[in-house]
Amino acid sequence: MADSIATSSAPASLPRDLTKKKRTNKKLKQSKLDVRREQWLSQVKNKGCKVDSNGKDESHSSSMRIANVQNGSLDNLEIRSRGEENEGSSIHDSDLESLMNSPIGITLDHNDSSKGLTGSSSSITSSGCCSGNISEEEEDDGCVDDWEAVADALYADDNQHKPIAESPAEPETRVESDNLEVPNHNPGVDLSKTESGKVVPESRVNCRAWRPDDACRPQSLPTLSKQHSFPMKSCGRGAITWTWQRLSSQPSSCPICYEDLDVTDSSFLPCSCGFHLCLFCHKRILEADGRCPGCRKQYDQINVNMCFNERVAPFQLSRSCSMSTRF
Amino acid sequence: MQASRARLFKEYKEVQREKTADPDIQLACDDSNIFKWTALIKGPSETPYEGGVFQLAFAVPEQYPLQPPQVRFLTKIFHPNVHFKTGEICLDILKNAWSPAWTLQSVCRAIIALMAHPEPDSPLNCDSGNLLRSGDIRGFQSMAKMYTRLAAMPKKG
Repeated sequence: MADSIATSSAPASLPRDLTKKKRTNKKLKQSKLDVRREQWLSQVKNKGCKVDSNGKDESHSSSMRIANVQNGSLDNLEIRSRGEENEGSSIHDSDLESLMNSPIGITLDHNDSSKGLTGSSSSITSSGCCSGNISEEEEDDGCVDDWEAVADALYADDNQHKPIAESPAEPETRVESDNLEVPNHNPGVDLSKTESGKVVPESRVNCRAWRPDDACRPQSLPTLSKQHSFPMKSCGRGAITWTWQRLSSQPSSCPICYEDLDVTDSSFLPCSCGFHLCLFCHKRILEADGRCPGCRKQYDQINVNMCFNERVAPFQLSRSCSMSTRF
Repeated sequence: MQASRARLFKEYKEVQREKTADPDIQLACDDSNIFKWTALIKGPSETPYEGGVFQLAFAVPEQYPLQPPQVRFLTKIFHPNVHFKTGEICLDILKNAWSPAWTLQSVCRAIIALMAHPEPDSPLNCDSGNLLRSGDIRGFQSMAKMYTRLAAMPKKG
């Protein structure tokens, strides 16, 4: 991998002038992204090991793991080159020049610089293939990869806080959650639903790990995460937990308003203390003092996952931008 | 407004259903105003308030349960955390530590617990607090018992 990049960056001193403007714009972005990329990378690497050891990895996902590893080497290379040349933009050059060799160089470059890890994975594959169509397929993979990386990193993050108690029920619900997911994709879905997706990762993450083998996966999930911006994506997640919880949890009433919790509410865990409440009351509390009624901590502090997701969001958005410029 | 009313109505039904659940607490809602409640609580045993029945008045805000109810003693009580004249109660859960998960019933329970465990370091009744802080437990107990007998017990004869 390192060789291919080295060779691709060698003849590419020509487009340097072309890229200079872009570079200056992106310098700031790039410096931020480098930091994020490194954080991301460490999480992705951890995840990769973990999933492999679980044995859940199958053909599709294992190829993505490889892509991740490739990314790893690319990133290492980049970091090294920065060390040598003492110039942040030089990293970007090597990255970009390899892309210039591929037919979709500029758009991909945009992807790359704006969304970090995923973009670079697609750039590698596309420069290998030299075909616009195929590289677009690869884009899809990259997207899925991205999506999975987020989920698994979340899973890892969450596992540090609490063990999963509910995983045994997972396999039966898996297929159904797939089917039911589609109606929930419509953009009118209440945004507060997204929170359930963010905050109840334990059920969702297991679903995620199964995703790669599912037949309907390529149609629904990757396109979903690509076409919609981030909140929509997490609606999909919410739907997973939603259907999952419906099968596993008992209905009760909201301790705040005493109204019965519906299925969405009962799958809604905004706080790590496990205090259940309905979405209406949660919204009202957020508008007031924003503390969990159960443990009286601020909801914001507790939702580490939410913060994490928000950090991911810009990547996703910039991706959809670059998509639109290409078509 | 609607939410608080609905919640209070649910609490009312809960109270009706479990009237015997906690014999130390009798909660009742004002006939005409669901935002006004009164409660009768029994003084906890092994305290100077034992044998007394204390009346509490609840004024529930419209933002309830996001805002705590305002509670005060209608019955005179000699307690470091209760204002002797107004009956105002200094209790964290009625102020910054309030959680919407509390109910009027659980507030009553918290007040009973406060009666058994006074906090002399944040006194509303300085005389009472000073007695406790200076270590004059006996003096505090005799004062508290006297006021319990005077104000919180039915007159004999």
